[in-house]
Amino acid sequence: MDIYDVLLRDFPFLLKGLGVAIVLLAALLVIGFVLGMGICLVQLYGPRSRLVQWPLVLYERIFRGVPIIIMLFIFFYGISGVWDISAFGAAVLAMGLRSAAYQSQIFRSAFQSVPAGQMMAARAMGMSKIMAIRHIVFPQAARHAIGPWTNEFSSEIKETSLAYVIGVVELTRQAHYIITSTQGNVLTVFAVVALLYFILNRTGNSLLYALERKLAVPGFEK
Amino acid sequence: MNRIKASLMPAALMGTLLIGSGLATTSFAQDPYTVGVEASFPPWAYVEAGEFKGIAIDAMEAIAEEAGIEIEFQDMPFPSLIPALAAEKIDILATGLTVTEERSENIDFTIPWWETNDVVLVPEDSDLNVFTAVCCGASVGVQGGSSQQAWMEENVVNSSDIDVELSKYDNYVTAVDDMAIGRISSVIVDDTSAQEYINAGKPVKMAGKIYIRAPLALAVSKGDPQEILGDLNQGILAIYESGEWGKIVENYIPGVTVPAIPGHMPDFVDTYQKPVAGLPELGNE
Repeated sequence: MDIYDVLLRDFPFLLKGLGVAIVLLAALLVIGFVLGMGICLVQLYGPRSRLVQWPLVLYERIFRGVPIIIMLFIFFYGISGVWDISAFGAAVLAMGLRSAAYQSQIFRSAFQSVPAGQMMAARAMGMSKIMAIRHIVFPQAARHAIGPWTNEFSSEIKETSLAYVIGVVELTRQAHYIITSTQGNVLTVFAVVALLYFILNRTGNSLLYALERKLAVPGFEK
Repeated sequence: MNRIKASLMPAALMGTLLIGSGLATTSFAQDPYTVGVEASFPPWAYVEAGEFKGIAIDAMEAIAEEAGIEIEFQDMPFPSLIPALAAEKIDILATGLTVTEERSENIDFTIPWWETNDVVLVPEDSDLNVFTAVCCGASVGVQGGSSQQAWMEENVVNSSDIDVELSKYDNYVTAVDDMAIGRISSVIVDDTSAQEYINAGKPVKMAGKIYIRAPLALAVSKGDPQEILGDLNQGILAIYESGEWGKIVENYIPGVTVPAIPGHMPDFVDTYQKPVAGLPELGNE
């Protein structure tokens, strides 16, 4: 059986691995989005007290400053003393919490790019702070955030491939199976895998760019 | 794979919920034992067409049947397996695992089921011999965390003036491929795997053999918290005596001489002290 037959036969397993990678990606991006948005809002509009702000800064510095592979090991082996976490759960948590740290800074810069005068004007019109954020600042910030967010999306797709170190059988690990059971063909197998990652990446980014175009306000900020 | 599915659905549904039993794998008494394997290590364990295969896989299934226990396999890269066993993330380790003193301090070994010697692999067209392949500026490939790496560090790199650079790889297939493109000059690997590469038509040959008589065994967490060491020991002996072991090995490495079980049991392993779990008549005095 030559390598192309093997690839054809095992293609469903590569797709299965891709599926695991996509679910991992979706879960970590959702965690990152919700937590990251929360951190951003508290950093910008929350109480200025150090008791609130310092833990957020500390969290964001730690998760942005430690390599993800170390975080994966810490979450998988470290937490297991307290709670018997699965490899997939550990990967979602470690990568989701780290993505939250990154996304909080993407959102912070997007919110800060909205001129401060708009907030003041909204308040002067009688809007509450929450209403002003919801109706004035957020819609503009969200549009600004999509561009940088495509970066986060692209890099997280590729980082899901690291989850195999703690035993998550995703696309890269499935590729390893083919390489080792056929005793080689590194170039061919990884070329196919690279193509799969590339297609996923391109599709996701195209959708995000389409969203960006759809949300763009004609004649505004051009 | 069931484990992944079970934890994946709730993870997707819950999305942001950090708490929830879906992300955890709580152990119950009737749960199958999790057998950790390195599934990129033929002929011991590998995946072909989505199925676990290999000597360790087939033998483990036979032993489980013999002992009347349920098992499920969990794949992990080799350097993660021993930490996972030590942290009790897996219950049994079944791969081409060499018995070493260092490892025996962190995990408990079953009786040896195989014996290997190491081989110096060089490219087919190379004129290096067993001496020149591991000296004088040679770059030698090993699998990271393997017994070959430990042996090379102890006997060559740290204890002599021989100028050798060790390159550590995630698995041996990458090491052998890296040698084929000339990045390293030789690879130290066990003789079983080496034969496998040659049979598969890789452009490599054996420059020589290092007789270390290294026993291979299964392993469980230190102190045998699941109390399965005795079952495994009896199971290994039972499939050897019934001839099933020989058939499994012959299936994967045709023509190989099967070492007797129980083989050489090194003194430094505490679980080899008499009485051995499940086999009280065996063991070192």
